[in-house]
Amino acid sequence: MNTDAWLHALDGELRRRGIDPALARHVVAEAAVHLRDSRQAPLAAFGPPDAYAAAVAESVGSPVRSAPHRRSAPGPVRLEARGIVKRHRRRTVLSGVDLTVRAGEIAAVVGANGCGKSTLLRICAGLESPDRGEVRLRGTLGFCPQDGGTSDFLVPDEHFALVGAGRGMRRGAAVRAGRAYAAALDWDPAGAGQARFLSGGTRQKLNLVMAGLGDPDVLLLDEPYQGFDRGSYVDFWRQLWAWRDAGKTIVVVTHLLDQLDRVDTVLDLTPARTTEARA
Amino acid sequence: MDHERRGQWLRGVLDLCVLAVLLRRESYGYELAQSLDAAGLGPIRGGTLYPVLLRLQRTGMVTAQWREGESGPARKYYRITEAGGEMLRRTAADWETFTRGVDTLLREVATR
Amino acid sequence: MIKVLTVAEMTVREILRRRAVLVIILMLPLAFYLSRRGDHLGQSIRFVCLGLGWALSTAALFSGSAARGLEPRLRLSGYGTGHLYAGRLAALWTLGLVLSAPYFLLIRVDADRVEHGAIALIMLLTVAVAAPFGLVLSVLVPRELEGTLLLLTVVGLQMMMDPAGSAARLLPFWFSREIATYAVDHTDGGYLARGLTHGTVCALALTVLAMTLASIRLRRRPHLRPVT
Repeated sequence: MNTDAWLHALDGELRRRGIDPALARHVVAEAAVHLRDSRQAPLAAFGPPDAYAAAVAESVGSPVRSAPHRRSAPGPVRLEARGIVKRHRRRTVLSGVDLTVRAGEIAAVVGANGCGKSTLLRICAGLESPDRGEVRLRGTLGFCPQDGGTSDFLVPDEHFALVGAGRGMRRGAAVRAGRAYAAALDWDPAGAGQARFLSGGTRQKLNLVMAGLGDPDVLLLDEPYQGFDRGSYVDFWRQLWAWRDAGKTIVVVTHLLDQLDRVDTVLDLTPARTTEARA
Repeated sequence: MDHERRGQWLRGVLDLCVLAVLLRRESYGYELAQSLDAAGLGPIRGGTLYPVLLRLQRTGMVTAQWREGESGPARKYYRITEAGGEMLRRTAADWETFTRGVDTLLREVATR
Repeated sequence: MIKVLTVAEMTVREILRRRAVLVIILMLPLAFYLSRRGDHLGQSIRFVCLGLGWALSTAALFSGSAARGLEPRLRLSGYGTGHLYAGRLAALWTLGLVLSAPYFLLIRVDADRVEHGAIALIMLLTVAVAAPFGLVLSVLVPRELEGTLLLLTVVGLQMMMDPAGSAARLLPFWFSREIATYAVDHTDGGYLARGLTHGTVCALALTVLAMTLASIRLRRRPHLRPVT
């Protein structure tokens, strides 16, 4: 990693940790001076950017912005799935799954591979029919599939314009909103090439931005962080909390259990049994 | 010297050493690292030093100012405050007492 | 209307960026034309029309296949099936007309003893049929490869089968040979009438079929109940 890239990464990591931007600039500038004076490689002098940013954050005693401990009264029920049953051939994938999510809540759908997490999400989105059961939906829907969902030959701005037009947004507004969401995920889509040339992680960012465009009330996200680096993963959860605080209803499929303390509802689809527990 | 133990010792006293160097005269990060090295503490990484400086700044032990140096570009100069000097003197006395105990015990080992 | 235009615009952009495909599609009818230019001009004209049909069907097939992943989510983002379908079809039809224009001019300049009005009619019908035909295939076959092979088969059959046989009429571009016979050999109006009828029926049927398939694929499922 060269010095500029390291400094840039440090800047991002500091920002992510909620360090005051002015202070972050000072820290980065000071590190730059030190590196020039000492002629050392950044990794040798300071270690990885995220570790150094963590040490800085600890020193200045800034609150590490994690899940905001917000507990306002839950809003109205936005998504209600009742008795969802789905069989693939003769194998029962979902057997009577219930899920209720309110405005301003995040529900995590967890479980082993192949236990029907994506199927449940697609059923909630209306992209697949269940064998039994129904889904009640209050409001507009945004859906982020696990893969696909983008057009190989279009550039990100065109994706924003396309989704925006569906939501009744003007093109300029859609592109601006898309770029703003992208910036929150530490991605600058201006001048990015066609979607087929984007890396896996970046394409997922595009996917996620498309899902959030036009402010849908309910967001269904199917493991949208695949291919994200650690920093983007942190950004992703911060975006989720921002959406929650804005009163959105979020259902996110995940197999990473380290974030479960930061969601409101956990639906465990581990085979044959379904349990819904209030976190 | 055992690398890990040196790290542990440093963690306990680095802020005092920094203040002590700053008591001589104001200085900036890289120069501080050189002074500490020259004093026999060994090389101090930037990743270790600057968080200490930030903590000292936050607790009011030092003040900092970006300034053009005699040579080269702007650097962040640190200066010890009155509170910093007061704290350093008090802790230096405590350190004296503490190390005297350690010294006594370890000297027995050396002479045996 | 904005929605339809936006889908149409993005469809055109997508196709224009597939450079290799575009070049093949543009050149293929020319190759067909030149293959019999020397000895049999009439055959050349028949082939160029078939080539146009094949090229546009292929473009439609690729476009439809590429949209598979995207369309369901656009459906959730406020688009109706009609918007998506109309936009894509409009783009393909426009593309087909643009593609046909230079070939019409070529025939206009190169061949003077033919009915140019009838040639224009063939091209119009070919465009009208080929776009929904490719879209239908894109829904029915799992991948572009299978679709391309199918299209090759159809065009191959179209060239080899005896146009007088009744089975040949089941092929979507049969009208092309009928009207071409009228245009080149100056036969009676029966050829023109039969061709016109066949082409119109095919265009309508395929358009409706493609629309129906799209509606089924992108339908709102009854288990999802919007509550207001």
